[in-house]
Amino acid sequence: MTPPSETGTDLVSAYLDDELEGQDVAAFEDLLESSPEVQEELEDLRKVISLVGGLGKVEAPEDFYEKLNRRIRRRQLLQPQTSSKLAMIAVPFQVLSILVILTVAALYMMSELDAAPKSIEREVLVPIGNTGAPSDAPRPVQP
Amino acid sequence: MQGAAKPQPAAPGAKDSDDAPAPITERAKADARDRQLVVRLKAGDQRAFEELVRLYQDRVFALSYRMLGNRQEAEDLAQEVFITLHRAIGSYRGEGRFYTWLYRIASNTCKNRIKYLRGRHFHKSVSVDDTPEAQAPAGEAGPGVPLQSRVHGPEAMTEGNRLEAAVQRELAALDPEHRLLIILRDVQGMSYQEILRITGLQEGTLKSRLHRARVALKDRLKEHLS
Repeated sequence: MTPPSETGTDLVSAYLDDELEGQDVAAFEDLLESSPEVQEELEDLRKVISLVGGLGKVEAPEDFYEKLNRRIRRRQLLQPQTSSKLAMIAVPFQVLSILVILTVAALYMMSELDAAPKSIEREVLVPIGNTGAPSDAPRPVQP
Repeated sequence: MQGAAKPQPAAPGAKDSDDAPAPITERAKADARDRQLVVRLKAGDQRAFEELVRLYQDRVFALSYRMLGNRQEAEDLAQEVFITLHRAIGSYRGEGRFYTWLYRIASNTCKNRIKYLRGRHFHKSVSVDDTPEAQAPAGEAGPGVPLQSRVHGPEAMTEGNRLEAAVQRELAALDPEHRLLIILRDVQGMSYQEILRITGLQEGTLKSRLHRARVALKDRLKEHLS
């Protein structure tokens, strides 16, 4: 049995949905007859249900399954854990290729270090004030 | 790719009463068919998956669309629901009806997506392409009378579409829990028993929450009720 309410308005939905039990229906209908507030609520909610029920049918796009299928396949390719056997085979090759790359890099660096150091051309530094260039300073006056 | 035949999904919304034997028989048949498809899918038969998708894609898409109010998001979300189904089918133990389980996945995915989109300040939109004539003939509408047919005269379609857009907009503005209950009950026409199984709510909670949801929608649609 539905618990009694103070105003009865919260039974309106259940009444409209035919979800009140026998005794509750009778009690609610008595209330409905005597209460304009409940009558108004009932009419308003009936309209709301009718408006919502009149919303047009919505259908999925024609190619819904095809798109879904592509998406699932893409995910399976991107997630190696789904093909664990393949992953188990791939791991040793991945480790091996990393080791090869590191070895080649180390050999290259060692060969570079062993090579004769190139002569570094040093820039000739000329002390300031001894450039031999003419100075703007006034020359001493000859007696 | 040529899809499987498109059989009709089980018809929820038929009351669980003794005086309606035909829907119960149909439902039993649909349940048996779903069980077989699930068994085949669990055995790795991808054709069974395709059949399940084609059976339920419209209803899952419709639920997503009514929850989000945006076709692109709805399509993405509906795909996500079926991907979850594909991944989690092994954990489905066959207790209860299959579509109840699928709807549970769909409603949880919808609520999570709404939370995520709120965080990104997603604004719901109802575009011109979302008007009913772009979707399906008016005669195939939900349990109620199509909104276009309520307005007469040359402006019927435009006015009907405007009304539908307003209802969709206000519906999508409700609290997600309220939205879900109204969609399941008033748009998709499910029975209380079906909604209880999908949402896991207690009966009293469902009744009071559904009522509050309708009152909230009534307040939002006040100008259209006269």
